[in-house]
Amino acid sequence: MDANFPAVLQPFLKYAGGQEITGESRLRDLGLDSMQSIQLLFAVEDAYHVSLPDELLTDDTFATVGSLWAAIESVRPAAQEAS
Amino acid sequence: MNLDELFAVTAEHAARTDREAAFPVEALDVMRANGMLGFVVPTEHGGGGGSVTEVLDLTLRLAREDMSVAMIFTMHCQQALALVRHANPELAARVLPRLARGELYLASVTTERGKGGHLLSSESVVHSDGSHLKIDRDAPIVTGGPHADAYLVTVLAPDATSPSQVSLVYAERSEVDVEVLGGWQPLGMRATRSVPMRLTGQVPVRNLVGEPGGFREIVTGTFGPLAHLGWSAAWLGTAAGALSRVVQFLRGEAGRKQFDTTSELLLTGLAKVRGRIDTVHSLLRNTSRVVESTEDLTQPPVQLLLNTLKITAAEQCFTAVDELIELVGLRHGYLTGSPLRLEQAFRDLRSASLNYGNQRLYLANGTLSLLDQQVRLV
Repeated sequence: MDANFPAVLQPFLKYAGGQEITGESRLRDLGLDSMQSIQLLFAVEDAYHVSLPDELLTDDTFATVGSLWAAIESVRPAAQEAS
Repeated sequence: MNLDELFAVTAEHAARTDREAAFPVEALDVMRANGMLGFVVPTEHGGGGGSVTEVLDLTLRLAREDMSVAMIFTMHCQQALALVRHANPELAARVLPRLARGELYLASVTTERGKGGHLLSSESVVHSDGSHLKIDRDAPIVTGGPHADAYLVTVLAPDATSPSQVSLVYAERSEVDVEVLGGWQPLGMRATRSVPMRLTGQVPVRNLVGEPGGFREIVTGTFGPLAHLGWSAAWLGTAAGALSRVVQFLRGEAGRKQFDTTSELLLTGLAKVRGRIDTVHSLLRNTSRVVESTEDLTQPPVQLLLNTLKITAAEQCFTAVDELIELVGLRHGYLTGSPLRLEQAFRDLRSASLNYGNQRLYLANGTLSLLDQQVRLV
């Protein structure tokens, strides 16, 4: 997971408090609701220059920090991963 | 299952329960006796093994007699199905056979002051000592609450760190103190007796339905879809019943004396009403098919369709009855006690857009639309 990823998510997680955000952190438990998930999606897409396909935009993708990161990874160009 | 008796008893008491805002205890007694309260319970537990489609068929038919009774039945089936699908084996073995025998009429305690009908959050803290959950729950609206034998209650999970960690708990009337905090004096749906209540007491931890904090899964898989489908069926049945009574009247001797059945105004009006009803019916059946054949109901196209069904049924069924009143005029359409019962259908259906507010669903669908760039039609 990209070291900067928690910082991208932080503004949408009002119950995260000072706790460390890990791959297992559950996004909804930390305050993400369905109305905000679109804003979070835009922020993530801007930060990583990707576009998540419609098929990935389910509850499972937005379940945990790790599952959202895995979705981003699945669409990132290979060249970027190597850099 | 003798349905004729239920329809007859419902029709017999509909005017009185509406006038007095009284719960239809006579209809509930028939539902207890004829297996309807256990309709969705699997046959191995002694239930009727009914499908979602069959619940909608019954709801539609009941609503032609009385929308309140249809709402009571369909919402009970929604709670019962939540237990069938999500109760742990011990709870299922304890509760489902009794549900099948008609001993348990279920009410849901999901509303909360400050958040209205928002299902997915709670501010009601619950304490756990490891074996019991201590509940103190205040709800502004509990449909059928004073007559329920058991409740499905949403509470904040014991160790919750945010309001979204909601658990669903099963509580029998004998396990909790039930206090009715106020009355029910609404415009329509008067017989649903949806009063404010407070539940206090302790229930065993094994009464948890689904995972701790796992109410969201129950909502997306069962509660949400069944609510939108069931309510829409109740509203559609109400509007279809109203049109049927009007057409029967127009076709009769008295009707033909008063109304010119070649009038273009009348014919165009009837066509529009019938079109609204057929549109909602098609949407209801398609949505039901999608819900029964789709594994992941959280996909935006499915959520969009479910919300659109609810919004459309609420708007179109109300408009249909409004237009019928305009067509038949003041004496037949507007007066309480007219045999066409349009006045009651109008009042009952006015609740539809407010019952889980359309406005909120429009906002949700706006967001969901942005999540489906391809516009995948289901």
